[in-house]
Amino acid sequence: MNARSRAARALLLAVLLAAGAACSLIDQGTEILGKAEDAVAKGDKAVKAYGKLRSAFGDFTEEEEYYIGRSVAALILGRYPALNDAALNLYVNKVGNAVALSSERPEIFAGWHFQALDTDEVNAMAAPGGMIFITKGLLKRCPDEESLALILAHEVGHVAARHGLQSIRKANVTETFTSIGLEAIKTYGPEQLARVTAAFEGVLGDIVGTLVERGYDRKLEYEADESAVLFGCRTGYDPAGLARFLKTMVGDMSAVSGKGWFKTHPAPEQRIDRVQAEIDRLQPVPAPAAVRTQRFKSAVSAVR
Amino acid sequence: MKHPRKAVLAAGVLAVFCLAAAADVLVVKIQSTQIRAQAQFFAPVVAGLKAGDALTQIGVSGAWIQVRTAAGLSGWIHQSAVEVPRYALAAAAGGTRTQATASEAALAGKGFNKQVEENFRTGHAEADYASVDRMLQNKMLWSQLKEFLDQGKLGGGR
Repeated sequence: MNARSRAARALLLAVLLAAGAACSLIDQGTEILGKAEDAVAKGDKAVKAYGKLRSAFGDFTEEEEYYIGRSVAALILGRYPALNDAALNLYVNKVGNAVALSSERPEIFAGWHFQALDTDEVNAMAAPGGMIFITKGLLKRCPDEESLALILAHEVGHVAARHGLQSIRKANVTETFTSIGLEAIKTYGPEQLARVTAAFEGVLGDIVGTLVERGYDRKLEYEADESAVLFGCRTGYDPAGLARFLKTMVGDMSAVSGKGWFKTHPAPEQRIDRVQAEIDRLQPVPAPAAVRTQRFKSAVSAVR
Repeated sequence: MKHPRKAVLAAGVLAVFCLAAAADVLVVKIQSTQIRAQAQFFAPVVAGLKAGDALTQIGVSGAWIQVRTAAGLSGWIHQSAVEVPRYALAAAAGGTRTQATASEAALAGKGFNKQVEENFRTGHAEADYASVDRMLQNKMLWSQLKEFLDQGKLGGGR
């Protein structure tokens, strides 16, 4: 082999090696491309299978929570008439919005709304989506703004943690997401509408039954008390307002009726120690202010 | 090259993934809200927003997110007002961020909606929606709330 042919062979070898490397790169590239195409396909599947991804109470959208809350609120207002006192409702809304601002959900779908109910039954209830009710009977028993703020903060705590949605039975959650289906449509046909509405009724029954009849699990009530103390402190309210209120409820004759708040909440004696322990944990806490007690007395005088 | 079409597709997809990773997309999940000049309530309002509006995340400070609107305005929004769009990844793989917003908008009206409520109402006269509507019409103004907090020597998220 002469020098010329050796050079030709070396050149050929180099070309072959380069081509091999190139092929390897192409193969690697093709592998990456294949994965990329898979990603696109998976993306499409993810869109189509969105409905299948929804399986738990936490999968309700903010807007769905609002529509559930509207109907829960309508059913509550069907049982207990609204107290149409504009000045009182404005004051309750100010106190409620003040503590809601310190919650994990200061911004909620249609804003936080608070409404007094015209009944002597002692109760406070929160519909999903931030629609909160307090009865005239409970307002009468509040000694000061701190107590009212902490009671409303307890209800805000239920909404912020989506406790209402947690009270929907698993079977109704499953039926809801199955009936809604997989396609992203805005308008249902008659058959699907009937099925989705039936699921809606099931969901409302579970929540209203919990709010009005059965009450939340004690664990959730204590969790809402902890939230109340925290939100109250963050806002600047003396959290002892909750303990003060609970103490006034010990031995309250209304408890004999076994209605409303007494039926749906743990006994005040059982809550006081836990609330005090939470307050001790958060020391130092804000102090009461006379200016707040004065405006409280002025605002709730109409129902006293 | 054996698969030129795949190469172009892959380059595009990878570029979009990189863009998506670099600029986080968020959407407004509540009816209406505002972005503010500082990371706090009661700070001056920069722009009003509505459900489904897309935002680009550019920073974080505690529970507040610094964002840029489609119109190029930047400001701060509380994290409870926004969410990562459920279709973001899928739509990014498909090629455009606009698709993410469109899919989110289609989803917004899905599930329990006005149509379902109206159908439920026909069989439940005992439900008092008129009182609910009156209750929801009473919107708390930020200025009213600020005055109330100041007068009561309260802090309230500030």
